[in-house]
Amino acid sequence: MTTNFICGIAVRSALSSAVMALVLIVGFVPVARAQTSSKARVEAFAKLPNWSGIWELDAFVGQSDGQQFSAEGQRRLAYYATAMKPSFTAEYQAKFDAIRKEVAAAVAADPAHPPVTHQPLCGSPPFPATLTPGMYEWLVTPEETIFVSTVGAVRHIYTDGRSHPPKDELWPTPTGDSVGHWDGDTLVIDTISTKQRLYTGELSGFFFPMSAQLHFTERVRMLDHNHMQIDYTVEDPLALTKPIHAVIVHSRVTDYNRMTEEADCEENERDPVVNGRFTTVVK
Amino acid sequence: MFDHTKEVKLVGTVKEFQWTNPHCWIQVLVPDPANPAAEPVEWGVEMGAPVELMRKGWKPGSLNAGDKVTIVINPLRDGQHGGLVLSVTGPDGNMIGRPAPTAQ
Repeated sequence: MTTNFICGIAVRSALSSAVMALVLIVGFVPVARAQTSSKARVEAFAKLPNWSGIWELDAFVGQSDGQQFSAEGQRRLAYYATAMKPSFTAEYQAKFDAIRKEVAAAVAADPAHPPVTHQPLCGSPPFPATLTPGMYEWLVTPEETIFVSTVGAVRHIYTDGRSHPPKDELWPTPTGDSVGHWDGDTLVIDTISTKQRLYTGELSGFFFPMSAQLHFTERVRMLDHNHMQIDYTVEDPLALTKPIHAVIVHSRVTDYNRMTEEADCEENERDPVVNGRFTTVVK
Repeated sequence: MFDHTKEVKLVGTVKEFQWTNPHCWIQVLVPDPANPAAEPVEWGVEMGAPVELMRKGWKPGSLNAGDKVTIVINPLRDGQHGGLVLSVTGPDGNMIGRPAPTAQ
């Protein structure tokens, strides 16, 4: 006689040893598979670099209470603005010049309330989201790397060998579609299907108009314990005469130890956009 | 919005410290030194996000209603009584947080 326990009730049955063996196999195979899978995953994890910690764009290090940049921060901003200056094709230069002229006229008409030509304080951070204010985390797993920021960015970079979806299954979104692979300790990210606009080193500058062929490549690696480096390349054969390239640096945050949301604009937004212009509510 | 070429010093009393997203604000009542009997003017001055201020030494209770403060700002261009904080000196006479490089 064998005693089995089902839902806490002791049931005596005269199961043959063969049936018992079947029960054992059926009952334990999934567990055994899970253990194998878990072990393999742990081994896969062990091969990945450790990017844990909290990071911020180097330009924002040392910012003051009123968000003024440090001298070094200003130098880095100037670098980003220069490195990321687009070299447009004639067609896109004409588009850009028209926007710039329109903006200049709007500023001249009301200098106190600048027109919204760039990302407002709130909303989805513009791609690549590695240049925006706030703090960042890189969560590295065997299947994907997730980049999150305290101002609301979430990027999924799939490293499980998948390709981008076919063209007829893509549409522009703020973060687009990213796939990646590891080249040693460097994560190589390929991104398409973002919004057809370009956010550059002019951190309070324009969203540049781009084409549907906009394509980003990022090579991300840890330089040392306190710095991450992103080799950032933008290609768009219709809009650019040559790729844009910049070296983005993230610095480890050492004065705070958790990711805390900072883009909850419903709570107390006092710089609202009114009729396409930034305004301020002083009371 | 802000005139970064101008600085205004506000000496007054905190009406409210708003530790809020996306940005923190100080509402401060500023009397007119030339006419102390007149109703003080309320100014609203803007800083960064709470978590960013926390990193610079601020806490939600760093300022309370009634605290005497001196605040230096870049004023709004449109003439409203508001601005962007450059530095805040608290009731004990010490600067709070991390002032702008030009204000240190």
